[in-house]
Amino acid sequence: MENVEKKLREEAKGLLAEKKVDVVVGYEKGTLPLTATPCFITTPEEADRLVWNPFCVLNLAKFVHDLLSQHHEAQKRVKPEARRKKVVGVVARGCTSRSLVIHLQEKQYGRDELVILGVPCGGYLDEKKLAALAGGEEIREGSLDDGKIAVKTVKGEHQAPLKELLADNCLVCRFNQPVIADIQTGEIAPVAEAEKEYDPVTAFENLPPEARWAYFEKEMAKCIRCAACRNVCPSCYCRICFAEQSQPRWVDIGADPSDTQLFQLMRMYHMVGRCVDCGSCTAVCPMGVDLRKFLKKLDKDAFSMFGHRAGVSMDEPALLGAYKETDGEEFIFEPKHGG
Amino acid sequence: MEKVMTEEQSANAWEPKIVAIVCNWCTYAGADLAGISRIQYPPNVRIIRVPCTGRINPFYILRALQEGADGVLVSGCHPGECHYITGNLTARRKFAALKSFLGYIGLEGDRTLFTWVSASEGDRFAQVIRGVTKAVRALGPARKLVKGI
Repeated sequence: MENVEKKLREEAKGLLAEKKVDVVVGYEKGTLPLTATPCFITTPEEADRLVWNPFCVLNLAKFVHDLLSQHHEAQKRVKPEARRKKVVGVVARGCTSRSLVIHLQEKQYGRDELVILGVPCGGYLDEKKLAALAGGEEIREGSLDDGKIAVKTVKGEHQAPLKELLADNCLVCRFNQPVIADIQTGEIAPVAEAEKEYDPVTAFENLPPEARWAYFEKEMAKCIRCAACRNVCPSCYCRICFAEQSQPRWVDIGADPSDTQLFQLMRMYHMVGRCVDCGSCTAVCPMGVDLRKFLKKLDKDAFSMFGHRAGVSMDEPALLGAYKETDGEEFIFEPKHGG
Repeated sequence: MEKVMTEEQSANAWEPKIVAIVCNWCTYAGADLAGISRIQYPPNVRIIRVPCTGRINPFYILRALQEGADGVLVSGCHPGECHYITGNLTARRKFAALKSFLGYIGLEGDRTLFTWVSASEGDRFAQVIRGVTKAVRALGPARKLVKGI
């Protein structure tokens, strides 16, 4: 891990010094123990702030999109001859690189506006699992040594192997190597148990419909519509989200449970073939809504129905932007003769 | 033949309300043909005409369910016969994913139905409406995703 970090800093320093990139989006040490936070590095001297460890949670593709779309917008107000290109360097693990591929497929920016610093990923720490380990107490000190997490709270010390505290999506990650990278650092990370990736979805599918509905209702009742899931999602980049549109008003803003259900349903449905299972939405959800249970189903369907895995290949078009004449038709209603 | 109801009976009995979102070029013309051919079908559908099934935002379907529709039917041109060449083919993917997803969260499969009816299939249109009405009637009034319940 230290080697990756060292290499990452060197590469970032080099890119910034040679002015190949304007900014490097990466992670730096967080203000609390056992955390890392996204950061924007603009000078070679600052590159030493970069870190790479299992505390790096959020998908950085979101910030890349924000930076570039804001830049594109700003350039519209500049005389054509004075326009300049902005190049963003980004520290990308598997899921981040897949989100970048989705942006490229959807023509959000050009490949030449991007320098991808690929890093191997062994999964990140689930904050909620960590909180459970600390017994809900504030973590005063924490350390990661030899694959073991140790935390110190006012009430005592706790220890657990890192593997037990990894996020659910990381445990079954299929793409822990970046799918595209300009500069690759570090060794190839060990593969997670990807064959189990749809197990929870299959188990849920086998429940009776009423039990599934009850679970959906229960989970959605937790949602306070803070839109943190949307704001952190790299695939949610509309400038005006349907949730905030007033003409037409797609979804009401009342306290009726169906409004929240509809908001979540629609946001999730927008992820068909676009969700890379980076887990950012579940990581930031303040209410602990089990979004992944539903998002993973869309991922499963995209693969089982159309053989599509989100953001894996630059040659594939976006799932819902394309079609095949052989697409399945089992769901089409056929009336019996005479009704 | 459908039973004739008195006003009093119809006020008390529950009748399914079905929203049919149909494409202008095939199914709407098919409905027209059913009409001019005087083919009888249940009066439970409210038809909304759109230019193409590819124009249907899946949110229309969810919104209809939220506003109290007991069932939503989407119908367009048969694959390969789209007026806009490929509108129904891209729509097919969207609807396949939507229907599967709604089934996954526990919504009854027959609440959202998708089919193809061409402009020359007035008879098929009537059959579809009969079939859909029967299926939705069997489910009873909608209780899930409905506002104010």
